Amino acid sequence: MDLISLYPTWYEPTVGSGWVIALIATFHVLASHTSVGAALLFAYLSNKAYREDREDLLEFIKKYGLFLMVFTYVAGSITGPGIWYSTTVASPSGIGSLIHSFVWKWAAEWVFFVIEVVGVYMIVYLVGKVDKKTHMKITVIFGIASLATMLIIVGILSFMMTPGKEIWFEQGGFLNAFYGTNTFIQTFMRIAFMFTMTAVVGGIVVAGIKDPAFKKEMARKLGGLGIISTLTGAALFQWYLTAVPDQALLVMENRLPEYFGPSIIGVIVITITYFIVTMWQPKFVIESFAGFMAIVILVLGLWPEEVARESMRKPWVAGQYVYSNQIIGRDVPGMGIKSQLPIIEKIGILKAHPFTPDALRTVNEGNKIQAGEFITMVYCSNCHSPSKTGIRPLHRYFPEGIDQARMEKYVKGVLTTGNIAYMPKMPMLDSEIEALSAYLVLNKKGGQTAINKAIESEVNARNHTALKTSVHTTRTTANAQQEAK
Amino acid sequence: MDASQVLQVTEMVQALQSPGGIPNHPIIFMGLAVLTFALHILFVQLMLGTSLITLWGAFSKAHYWRRLASAMLEVAKVSTSVAIVLGVAPLLFVQVVYDPHWYTSNVLSAMWVIAFIFILIVAYWAIYYYYFQNNKHKDKTVQPKARWSMVLSLVLMLVVGFIMHSLTSQMLHPELWKTWYTPNGVLDYSGSKLHAYNLWRFAFFISMAIPVAGAMLVSYRRFKSVRSDADQDYLNWAGALGKKWIKVGSIVATGLYIAWMMTLPETAGDFATSFWGIIGGVLVLSFALWAQFRLKGEAKFCSYMALPVALVIGLMVAISREMLRYTILDGFFGYNFLDYKIVFDWFSTIHFFATFLIVGGSVLTYFLTVAWQAGQTVGVYTPSPFVDRLGTIAIWIISIWTFLFLAVGFYVWAFR
Repeated sequence: MDLISLYPTWYEPTVGSGWVIALIATFHVLASHTSVGAALLFAYLSNKAYREDREDLLEFIKKYGLFLMVFTYVAGSITGPGIWYSTTVASPSGIGSLIHSFVWKWAAEWVFFVIEVVGVYMIVYLVGKVDKKTHMKITVIFGIASLATMLIIVGILSFMMTPGKEIWFEQGGFLNAFYGTNTFIQTFMRIAFMFTMTAVVGGIVVAGIKDPAFKKEMARKLGGLGIISTLTGAALFQWYLTAVPDQALLVMENRLPEYFGPSIIGVIVITITYFIVTMWQPKFVIESFAGFMAIVILVLGLWPEEVARESMRKPWVAGQYVYSNQIIGRDVPGMGIKSQLPIIEKIGILKAHPFTPDALRTVNEGNKIQAGEFITMVYCSNCHSPSKTGIRPLHRYFPEGIDQARMEKYVKGVLTTGNIAYMPKMPMLDSEIEALSAYLVLNKKGGQTAINKAIESEVNARNHTALKTSVHTTRTTANAQQEAK
Repeated sequence: MDASQVLQVTEMVQALQSPGGIPNHPIIFMGLAVLTFALHILFVQLMLGTSLITLWGAFSKAHYWRRLASAMLEVAKVSTSVAIVLGVAPLLFVQVVYDPHWYTSNVLSAMWVIAFIFILIVAYWAIYYYYFQNNKHKDKTVQPKARWSMVLSLVLMLVVGFIMHSLTSQMLHPELWKTWYTPNGVLDYSGSKLHAYNLWRFAFFISMAIPVAGAMLVSYRRFKSVRSDADQDYLNWAGALGKKWIKVGSIVATGLYIAWMMTLPETAGDFATSFWGIIGGVLVLSFALWAQFRLKGEAKFCSYMALPVALVIGLMVAISREMLRYTILDGFFGYNFLDYKIVFDWFSTIHFFATFLIVGGSVLTYFLTVAWQAGQTVGVYTPSPFVDRLGTIAIWIISIWTFLFLAVGFYVWAFR
């Protein structure tokens, strides 16, 4: 059997599975970047506490550490695997390709996670219970371990956009997949933004410092760190854009939401203004203001950034060889991977998919809408929701009154040939084109209600036929037995 | 099922394997999956068991119980963190060799998979809420506040445990996947149902929280008894309670293990009466016998051995559990994970083991030594020159790792 590595589809009609991933990922980025930045800040402060024999700095570490432990380490440690979970259900082949390429890197990252978890408890709970020198050593190890987690994951994130070296396609090899220009620039860029988030979230803790002199010192330290890191990060982002594939730039120019540019500029301006104000007047560092700023960064900065990162990879989801709809669209000789497009062109998507119900493997008048829905779920739903809401709803892409013939012409001329730069090539048999088009037309005209009704009618008719056939077979067998007697 | 139906399932599952293959022999990943699962489940059980003690103490009027509850709350908090972080590893390794099963099972219950994340966060925060409501009291014998949050936490932890159990159970039924995906002829893309479970199996793993918590109490007594400010009567009471929990808990768990084995699906064949089917139950029961004979009097050494013994038993149960999966998926459905396509990558393999053994080994040796000795010290702990040097070595090792990571990257980037 010519089956390919496609899984069932999970369809979330309200926001779409893509946005479920983005929501979890955005929150994780806030939590994880803050944690890593704070770990490095702790290393610096603990070192200073040891050299200058200062209890106040250790108390600050304890307070900030406890705050982080509850709000970012707890949530970060769960939303990290949470990204795996969400991508597993929304994009199983995509995450599978990453897991199988980078399992050892993720395993190495896990070693540092364990160090981090043990370390954060020690940093918080051993203040005042071990000497300052020991605390400093624990904090330095914790800081480097946290940084290591970031170094590792950025290589994998970069691969999602494009393999480190072009020769990976021909030669394979982990090193060629992992390290590239994109990897290094993205690493530095994320380190910069990580300090920005640390400085903002740290403000929530600084707000609680009672001693005005110490509060001023910490507000200025965090403000200075925040200004430098925000400006550096913004400059590195421009550099980063020179290291992404041309295709990604094309998508960025044409497909990103209009709010993306103003939102990013806005968040940079607001953030720098916030740091200047708090450095100038530390009394303005109050919990609500700092908390508000963390939300500003989350909504105006991280959310568009995560959406952009997801969009710019299109039509690929991993390594420029796994399409966003989970189909392998390119040969990778270095890894012995073959494109799955020729198989689909030969037998059609319905016969190539392992989870196609038997009743839908061949399109006919009695299953057309259901088969069309199945094809839509497989080919389209990751990026376009068949519902009224959700991610890039399908119905918005077709004019009112579109008919079957026009839809078939579009599907055949554009989708099956891969004539849209940021969409995958989607091979189909003529019968499958007919089914997909019938579904899309009905979806446009009557929405989900009409679709449900049509599918119910198809299934009832099929069940009725099956029942009749069954009764007929039973009678024939009984008659034959009677005659034999 | 007839032979042709089984063959269809085999072909479907094999088609789902990742075409990129895996970077080393599958048995290595399986070994790591089993080892890390055993560690993960030990801390899950420790978390559940100590949460139960916390709750028991919270609703008790007895002073010793309340003191113990307060101490075990600290263990529950840390165990939750450690259980979560240790759980990442088996989650990683299982999807390397059993990706067709794990991914399909997850997609078919996608809503529950997503819910798992949020329920776990709430459960975790509920523990902290309870902690912050009560940690300011110096007197640990007063009635704690916000007991509801601890109840909520434990209930939600059991819910996430059940979700995980169900996802693992669904992996064992590839013959039902298409039926679950297309109930009554209509495709169900919602992922809103949990389709398979075995309550005996779930209850067995949860019940092991009792002997594991007992082992914790026995170790707690031994660990704290060396401090000059220790209340020996209280600690002896806690130790005796722990011993009782090990014995009773192990017997209960053995009963549930037998019930699990008696309710295995037909596809498991005669696994229940095979060596791997029997050994798990025998070892769980042996924990009770071990406690009866080895935890007499002071038991200075064996008290510290209680948790390692629980780990070894858990490891053997984890191997049995894995053999069961292998028996069903290979023995009945013809999916042998050992046949997975391999695209060797020695660099990344060595890189991981060096990180695991050298970086992880040196840093955790230092961390745990300091934590252990600080916990037994009254006042400020200052390490010996040897322990201090361990810290310096750990810093050097982790720094060299970072340097090499970047240096290799730079070489690849510049010269390839």
